Amino acid sequence: MSTPSGGGPSVIHDLGYRGYDGPRRSSFAIARTLYVTGLLHAYGFKRSNRSKALPFALLGFNLVPAAVMVGVMALTKMAPPLGYADYSLTMQVLSSIFAAAQAPVLFSRDLRHGSIVLYLARPLSAGMLAVTRWLSLASAIAIFLLAPVLLLFIGSLLAGHDVATHAQQAGKAALAVLLLAALLASITGVLSAWSTRRGFAVVGSIAVLVLGGGVVAIVQALAIDAGSSLVGQLAGLASPYTLYAGIAHALDSAAQSMTPPTGLGVLGYVLVALAVPIVSVLLLVMRFGKAAR
Amino acid sequence: MPRTLNDVPGDRTTYTPAVRDGDVVARTNGLTMRFGPVTALEDLDVTIGPGVTGLVGANGAGKSTLIKILLGLLRPTSGTAQVLGLDIASQGEQIRRLVGYMPEHDCLPPDVSASDFVVHLGTMSGLPPTVARERAADVLRHVGLAEERYRPMGGYSTGMKQRAKLAQALVHDPRLVFLDEPTNGLDPAAREDMLGLVRRIGHDFGISVLVTSHLLGELERVSDHVVVLDGGRLLRSSATGEFLEGTGDLLVEVLGGTPERDTMVAELTANGLGATAHGRLVRVAPLDRPDAQADTRTDADTRFVYDTIRDAAQRLGVGLVRLEPDRHRLQDVFADPTDTTLTEAS
Repeated sequence: MSTPSGGGPSVIHDLGYRGYDGPRRSSFAIARTLYVTGLLHAYGFKRSNRSKALPFALLGFNLVPAAVMVGVMALTKMAPPLGYADYSLTMQVLSSIFAAAQAPVLFSRDLRHGSIVLYLARPLSAGMLAVTRWLSLASAIAIFLLAPVLLLFIGSLLAGHDVATHAQQAGKAALAVLLLAALLASITGVLSAWSTRRGFAVVGSIAVLVLGGGVVAIVQALAIDAGSSLVGQLAGLASPYTLYAGIAHALDSAAQSMTPPTGLGVLGYVLVALAVPIVSVLLLVMRFGKAAR
Repeated sequence: MPRTLNDVPGDRTTYTPAVRDGDVVARTNGLTMRFGPVTALEDLDVTIGPGVTGLVGANGAGKSTLIKILLGLLRPTSGTAQVLGLDIASQGEQIRRLVGYMPEHDCLPPDVSASDFVVHLGTMSGLPPTVARERAADVLRHVGLAEERYRPMGGYSTGMKQRAKLAQALVHDPRLVFLDEPTNGLDPAAREDMLGLVRRIGHDFGISVLVTSHLLGELERVSDHVVVLDGGRLLRSSATGEFLEGTGDLLVEVLGGTPERDTMVAELTANGLGATAHGRLVRVAPLDRPDAQADTRTDADTRFVYDTIRDAAQRLGVGLVRLEPDRHRLQDVFADPTDTTLTEAS
């Protein structure tokens, strides 16, 4: 920057337009910024104060039972009354609402208001945008699901339980929870990207997750009555929570599952749990690419 | 070439077109785009130079499609194009680092302030966060968004929205900006402001501009060069001056209505001038002499024509309102497709 020789020190110049010749960041660094921003947006940061209310209220509700259990464990030295993996299953309505309500923040908003075009006109490709958005949502849900697991684990340690056993149980639960987060992010992400209207996306996601889960539970209960484990196992593929329960059970037989998959069924559960996110991300990439028209 | 204007603050009197890398900013070769049965662009060969280039055409002429192809957002059916020397098919990412885009349609989320949004999009273009904040503030000042930049954009007027859209296109200091219908929906005063901004971007900021409009008159004043598209084909591409040069005719307006105009036409014809009615005006052709060209016409000829018109008006007792040289207008490109200067690509 050269300074003009004329003009005293007290003169204010209109500098006119100033260019920028400094460093620019790589696409990876841009994607990282977008990822972090998306994660913060999912919890209402960098948005209006009102938008922090719902995610944090839900997170609070999700942690209350765990906190109570930790208190009880500390006083009575008893084992956690609810397994690490079972916790997310018991609290599935909360995580469903969280995923349903926050997915539109990341997937409907840009598509609905057309601002997606401004992103597409920048270095990140439609594919990178969609994958980064998905990662933000999956991470936000994972944090939501892992927080109580972590709290229970700390509580168990404080109550003096065996570190190795609990680390193993909590670790297995965390692995299954990551798959559940990926499943929830995929389903709610795709629904939000296609409906583009926040209301439809929220209602649709809750319907699929909660009502769908209910239907699967009914089918599984009937299957148990009829003594047909296969039907129950197949039905379990249809809801992310039963899918999660099945995989958690396969990892740690202490985890609850109405009709746990056996033998090849486990492989089927794992394949579906991996295929759903992959297909969903491909659909999201397609949707973002189409937004440019 | 360095942007000399920015090195000498305050010196805006010199006109320097934005030349930063050679003479070609964008070029297409046989570019064709079909959406199913609809052909948006047909075998388009066009070269866009530095400075402000106006892209003119009716709605559906293929202007937005061309911009989206140049941005790498759409893959053309066939043909190739380069932007800033980079190939659209293989170097889209590098292109999008160097260009800015102001879309035609609404693209602003209502719940964010212009300030936050432009900072965010600056980082999305690869600016480090502190630079993005600095440049967003600078650019928002240049486009004329003052205190309102801190309010959510949902409450903005159309004019303010257009300014915010322009700011996000400039935040990363692009070398070329695509402005798609920047004056759309603006009232006359805001339209003037926006056109002034477009001119400044091209001439003072040192950023080449490709600006579209379906209003031809607007681009006459801000563009150095005009490209006319019609039905996806190149109708004409030339410097703005060539569109607007004098036709050699004189336009005469007299007081009164059609009867007065017609008597004037008759009187001038009787005095040996080639006069015809032209709307409310009388068009007077230059003296019909074999060697009479616009630039070689002698002063004596011109004075004779003016004197004849004056005398005719005096004899008839009609009031002369206006006497001016007739100029080509961009509209004529559409009105007269048989114009010999057309470079029609059919």
